[in-house]
Amino acid sequence: MRTRLTALIALLCLAVPGVSFAAGKVKLGFVNTITGAEAPIGENLTNGVTMAIEDLKKKGIEVDLVKEDDTGKPEKALSAFEKLATRDDVAGVVGPYTSACANAVASRADQYKVPLLVPVAAKEEITQKGYKFVYRLNAPADVYSSVILDTILALDKPKTIAYVYANTDFGISTVKTAKEYAARVGLKEVADEKYQKGAPDFRSTLSKIKGLSPDLVFMVSYEVDAITLMRQSKEIGLAPKAFLGAGAGFTTAQFLEQKEVSNLVFSSTQWTDDVNWPGAKDFYNRYKAKFGKEPTYHAACAYEAMRIMAETAAANGGDREKTRAGLRSGSWKGIMGDVKFTDYEKFTNQNRHEMLVQQIQAGKYETVSPAKYATKKPVYPFRWK
Amino acid sequence: MVLVQALVSGILIGGVYALIGIGLTIIFGVMRVINFAHGELMMIGMYLTYFLFTLLHVDPFVSVLITIPIMFAFGAFLQKTVINRILGSLPQNQILLTIGLGLIMSNTVMLAFTSDYKILTTSYSSSSLHIAGISVSQPLAVSFAITVAITAALYWFLMKTDTGQAIRATAQDREAAQLMGINVRRMSILAFGIGASLAGTAGALISPTYYVFPQVGSAFTLKAFVITVLGGMGSVVGATLGGIIIGVVESVGAVTISSDWKDVLVFAIFLVVLLVKPSGLMGKSRM
Repeated sequence: MRTRLTALIALLCLAVPGVSFAAGKVKLGFVNTITGAEAPIGENLTNGVTMAIEDLKKKGIEVDLVKEDDTGKPEKALSAFEKLATRDDVAGVVGPYTSACANAVASRADQYKVPLLVPVAAKEEITQKGYKFVYRLNAPADVYSSVILDTILALDKPKTIAYVYANTDFGISTVKTAKEYAARVGLKEVADEKYQKGAPDFRSTLSKIKGLSPDLVFMVSYEVDAITLMRQSKEIGLAPKAFLGAGAGFTTAQFLEQKEVSNLVFSSTQWTDDVNWPGAKDFYNRYKAKFGKEPTYHAACAYEAMRIMAETAAANGGDREKTRAGLRSGSWKGIMGDVKFTDYEKFTNQNRHEMLVQQIQAGKYETVSPAKYATKKPVYPFRWK
Repeated sequence: MVLVQALVSGILIGGVYALIGIGLTIIFGVMRVINFAHGELMMIGMYLTYFLFTLLHVDPFVSVLITIPIMFAFGAFLQKTVINRILGSLPQNQILLTIGLGLIMSNTVMLAFTSDYKILTTSYSSSSLHIAGISVSQPLAVSFAITVAITAALYWFLMKTDTGQAIRATAQDREAAQLMGINVRRMSILAFGIGASLAGTAGALISPTYYVFPQVGSAFTLKAFVITVLGGMGSVVGATLGGIIIGVVESVGAVTISSDWKDVLVFAIFLVVLLVKPSGLMGKSRM
């Protein structure tokens, strides 16, 4: 079997002249939420990484991947990372998924001198502490809020805004940046409602907000809380000029399926399938064929993070310090657009990723902003179907 | 107005909480076993409802009629094969056993149906009635009505029928009941079956407005536990009261203070009740 595989690879090399293969074998770690309440989004990351490993194999990079489950708990993420760093002796780690876990792990990366590439966690702090070994592919929390508010400000002059968000690291840090941004553009805050993730009943909170009749309602939610919130908003009759969702729960295929309540909701996202970044559409098609469902931006981020980490580690023979330097100096082009880790404002080793704003129109996610990536014009103001 | 709205929502959601609490309280009352797998039983009820709806197109509220007997059989089976063996043993062993059962259930379901959230979308999932400026969620109103009917039926069963009286006798004093010729093992099986079917029913009733995933149970186990202790361990009326109190406190607390603080409020009330009346609102101290 192995000889046949080697022969096949050799044949491939001959068949595609001029392509140099960064051949090699490399051992990497992957910390993700495989079980627990965040597992459904975690599954997207797992699938994205699985596809990356297959694609890397085609390029001649054999990845020996050690997967660890953090169950969404920071202390478990931390011990998983320590195990990867000391016992498994990996060249680098991709993950963890959630902000709380990634933030905990980032604080130890320098201590163990293991390069960590955070694929999708948004909490700003992760790349603000000046860690040498911590890199982040996705745009941090401040972009989630600014990109979506900019989209609305280009359409109208809204005056008031209400915030409803999950009491998580992601929710709190995104809303904090949204508030700073809103204050700068003169939006008045009328409500600030944190909620416990997974609560079954938001009716009282939503009717309180309805009484304040804000122009904009800004929400940050994981998975299906987004659906519960929108269902109950409709029930109560809350109808602002726009519902704004920051990533996560507002960007899933399941949210899209809830046509009755999801229509015309804006959301910010790290990735869409119709953006013209190289291979984005192809990734979408292959993912859908392989796993039978549509990829979320988490899948794309995890795919690209694993590809970048594996290629860099393989090129540097699995040496941790050289891999770190490689991440620092390299630049990539792929399904997430141009990737380069730089220092700017308060961030270090942060990819200045350009986020997108999408809106659900006629049962489809349409990219509506920034203009150069837009497929449709935004529909404003909001109205219930 | 907002306050009245919160009160109405709170009572409606409290009805479902009560159903979960009553199941737990009956099991505890009869067997002195705290069922930490209660939320998982509810989760299984939710999956049953989900599949009945998506595969056989049975309306979630009608499916209660199918869910109740299936969950009863499942609960009785658990009692007969597993729980019965640890009735007399140390409380910590009982807790470990039920927690273990819960883990097995949630992980088996995860293995079979993955961790994907399943969402039941009915034509009325987000519809509401407007009465005097207050919006009443249609699915919640229906589930509240079903809850009231089931609770009333259960109360009648426990108070008026021979079997019900035998269950109550077993709850009061297991040994004395046995001496009076009551088959306490059978009563235990009945009690666990009833508890499981109530949990399953609560799952069925909440699924049109909520969502289903393997780990959904844990949050409700905690809630059921608080409700039961608040109302008094083993008291059906207490659990009903406890459920509605928790629902109202959550809802009104979210409006008057902040949704972030509603859990603080719930547990503060819980602590106060425990301090003032350690046996719970309707509980009789047995010590």
